[in-house]
Amino acid sequence: MPSVQKYDVIVIGGGHNGLTNAAYLARAGKKVLVLERRHVLGGAAVTEEVFPGFKSSVCSYVVSLLRPEIIRDLDLPRHGLEILPLDGTFTPMPNGDYLWRVNDHGKTRREIARHSKLDAEAYEEFGKAMQAMCRFVKPILGMVPPDPATLNPKELMKLLFIGRRFQGMSLEDKYNQVQLMTMSAIDFLDQWFETDVLKATMSASGIIGTFLGVRSPGTAYVLLHHYMGEIDGAFRSWGFARGGTGAISNAIADAAREAGAEIRTKAPIARIIVKNNRAVGVALENGDEIYGDVISSSVDPRLTFLRFMEEKQLPGDFVEEVKRYKFRGSSGKVNIALDALPDFKCLPGPGAHLRGALSISPSVEYMERAYDDAKYGNFSRRPYVDMVIPSLTDPSVAPPGKHVMSCFVQYAPYKLRPGLNWDEQRDAFGNNVIDTIAEYAPNIKDIIINKQVLTPLDLEREFGLSEGNIFQGELSLEQLFFLRPVPGYAQFRTPVKNLYMCGSATHPGGGIMGAPGRLAALEILKDVGAVK
Amino acid sequence: MAETRDLIIVGGGHNGLVTAFYLAKAGFKPLVLERRQQTGGAAITEEFHTGFRCSILAHSAGPLLPEIVRDMQLERHGLKLITPEAAVTALSPDSRALTLYNDPKRATQEIAKFSAKDAEQYSVFEESLRKISSVIAQALKLAPPDIDDPSRSDLWGMLTTGRSLRKLGKKDMYRVLRWGPMAVADLVAEFFETELLRATIAARGIFGTALGPWSAGSSLVLLLRATGDPHPAGSASFAQGGIGAITTAMTAAAKEAGAEIRTGTEVKEIRVKDGVATGVVLASGEEIPARAVISNADPRRTLLSLVDPTHLTPDFVQKLQNIRMPGTVAKMNLALSALPKFNGLNGDSSALRGRIHIGPEIDYLERAFDDSKYGAFSQHPYLEVTIPSLTDPSLAPAGRHVMSVYVQYAPFKLKGGDWDSQRDALGNTVVKTLNEYAPGIAELIEDGQIITPKDLENQYGLTSGHIFHGELALDQFFTMRPLLGWARYATPIKNLYLCGSGTHPGVGLTGGSGMNAAREISKALRE
Repeated sequence: MPSVQKYDVIVIGGGHNGLTNAAYLARAGKKVLVLERRHVLGGAAVTEEVFPGFKSSVCSYVVSLLRPEIIRDLDLPRHGLEILPLDGTFTPMPNGDYLWRVNDHGKTRREIARHSKLDAEAYEEFGKAMQAMCRFVKPILGMVPPDPATLNPKELMKLLFIGRRFQGMSLEDKYNQVQLMTMSAIDFLDQWFETDVLKATMSASGIIGTFLGVRSPGTAYVLLHHYMGEIDGAFRSWGFARGGTGAISNAIADAAREAGAEIRTKAPIARIIVKNNRAVGVALENGDEIYGDVISSSVDPRLTFLRFMEEKQLPGDFVEEVKRYKFRGSSGKVNIALDALPDFKCLPGPGAHLRGALSISPSVEYMERAYDDAKYGNFSRRPYVDMVIPSLTDPSVAPPGKHVMSCFVQYAPYKLRPGLNWDEQRDAFGNNVIDTIAEYAPNIKDIIINKQVLTPLDLEREFGLSEGNIFQGELSLEQLFFLRPVPGYAQFRTPVKNLYMCGSATHPGGGIMGAPGRLAALEILKDVGAVK
Repeated sequence: MAETRDLIIVGGGHNGLVTAFYLAKAGFKPLVLERRQQTGGAAITEEFHTGFRCSILAHSAGPLLPEIVRDMQLERHGLKLITPEAAVTALSPDSRALTLYNDPKRATQEIAKFSAKDAEQYSVFEESLRKISSVIAQALKLAPPDIDDPSRSDLWGMLTTGRSLRKLGKKDMYRVLRWGPMAVADLVAEFFETELLRATIAARGIFGTALGPWSAGSSLVLLLRATGDPHPAGSASFAQGGIGAITTAMTAAAKEAGAEIRTGTEVKEIRVKDGVATGVVLASGEEIPARAVISNADPRRTLLSLVDPTHLTPDFVQKLQNIRMPGTVAKMNLALSALPKFNGLNGDSSALRGRIHIGPEIDYLERAFDDSKYGAFSQHPYLEVTIPSLTDPSLAPAGRHVMSVYVQYAPFKLKGGDWDSQRDALGNTVVKTLNEYAPGIAELIEDGQIITPKDLENQYGLTSGHIFHGELALDQFFTMRPLLGWARYATPIKNLYLCGSGTHPGVGLTGGSGMNAAREISKALRE
């Protein structure tokens, strides 16, 4: 006879959002249990020793969007979180030149002026305009999306709040805001800059994790994220967590445990137990049933509703919407253990440029052609690659003198064209990434000790990211805010009573932000009340 | 110096004529100045080869807003609209053809030959689109609200639109919000499985734009175009005597209402003094002072070339320069010695009476778009073809035919060479493509006219060859058309107004922009 246990809240999935959700709920006095399928916590925010002595941030590799209120509320530095700076972005070019932007304004200005004097001036203006936009968008990231289809006065007030904030902006800011929300990254950047490699590299942030090209409308918005990062209050900085990205999850987990949450790994669940349209518990794959007053799922809607539940337990319209929710993973990851540092043709030697992001994004056309390949079901012959070498900043992650390099690769479409499958294409994909890097840093092939290649299919299998989408669903306009994940259910609640969503598939979406986990916890507490 | 005129309208395209008519009706005395020898702008019929007449540019109306047809009494002025029962016939390389008739039942039967599921879905889509587009149509007829300080009537307009939006019910209301930013390829895939049907409907979202079916926001174009024409794939709307008959009737109606129209009269400059428009200067050097000037030309041409831009703030000039209007369309008109035989139709010429769609798959359309992104015209272009002589034999000598072909994508800016040197290559590509679907058509061609995007700019005044005077996109429609804060037909120059397609709603040959503009201008001038 399987054992029977009872909790106030059961959180499905121990990724950073699930853990954040659990920590907030535990701090409110709830008896919380987190169930994680894998042997290690963190979901896609995880550090693993893939090769002995080399600690890789296997999936997510940089942090900037982690909400400051979460760092504060959960006192994450006390739980071991330390963010180290990632300084700048270095883009090698095929003509032997490069573009190297750093956090130091003066330096960056001089560097851009080397390419275009006009752009150097525009860059400053651009930064200011972006910050004005951030001030508008920030409160939206921290709010529960309104439901525009109801007549509930509270919801209408929220809409009015957004409307008023918009009205309160200057015409200039309104103009920028509308453009940012709707335009393509390149169309938007074209208005400011003329240097191709600058536009290509900046636009890259607009396409990460989406199945869109830099010329696709709707990609401009994500440019803002680069100006929204707040680490120790400094605008625009990106960073590493000491010990790898998993250290963030571990710190959050520590905070949750301290507040009384119980966390179990290697505890895959088989289904959500629903009785009379109420979620009452979960059944584990080993047959154990665990009961809870609230079930909060941090996994994506496809897993939550289509795998862990039966369609007949849900309204038909809702099932239809969940089925058409788009994932379409478009990226892969190559984690490399290095014997030495890569040597770039355009700037030889182990300089400070290696401490920042290394971006293979030499031209707008390069980026767009990479996308074209993916549209027809191929991985990009020449992909966009975003690399970091965290061991330069945090030597604890690699043996002395050796390094770990993390390569984010786009595009790698989850659905390959008929006749191809990822298991057979994995090696070709990985080698193609190395070949691409070798065009700029030819010594790369000689210094690789080992490499781990993660295709979108691997991301799905290993990390439970449906179709390998790193944000638990595409961040496209029709899947944001009150439409995320599906219209009418953007407020973390579901058609099933006591079942909530708290993962990246909910507003405000993916990235190591923690906002969905926190907002969902606050909504759950509104419904069930805090204990203390 | 000539006497001061009441209102001058620069350009006698369909929107200029509609504006002239309504303003004349409202008691003003508009003078329309048209550069070419005939009015009509891009809605004209001309003889391009002895005995062959054709809708030189636009070959199917938006269709016209019914209230414009009624108010201007266009039928009394000689207009006979033709709406063929076959709206669109889509061709495919495997020699199957799909005809979408106006009658949903008949269309459904045709679709059922491809997929029973799609046949069922077609009516679901049709109904949803009809409901949604009627609500949007309501919004399109309003002038966009003042973004800084909405007036009482703005608020009332928004309120009524909001209410009808709610009446749609949750499902369709969410669809309005969700569909707009989507890629049209995703939208059609939500409903249909037949590739040919998907591509035919998706084409509406890309026609005339620099978008491919996978571009986000292409669904918005489909929705906007559906406002006047809820047929899922768009209907065919022709006129006896070609599309030019529409503007001919409009010209007569405007004249009768009291407007004066001068053709062969090119405006060289719009005179501005102390921030106020005072009249125009003609190419002949003649100056005509006026109380107000209304431009049917696109916003960029009006404010950056007809007006001396020094009258505008640098910031405003920059914004004008940033209006996206990359032309992507070319036109080819063919004189044919006989009716070509299309694969898959078994000689059924009735299926050819509407629009003929060539672009059998979403990927085909997207690849056609890909070429243009890198500055080349499509090697396998998306074509929209009409054979107007089938419904109006007067356009060609007996037994012969005219064929009008929209060719997409033909980017205004070519990477290699210029359009004059590429003209014939483009023509050959089009004929080669047509030949795949109508074998032997090449031998039937007596003469052909190729209009490149460069010609569209040079001869018809469409800046960058953009047939809509600016992309229809999320950042360039409604309150953002042509620019945020300037969507109400006025400009920063006092007494200078806009009435062309570059203003809201600007969705093709409907007359919507001209009608809205007349109403707002008349209000403004009376204040």
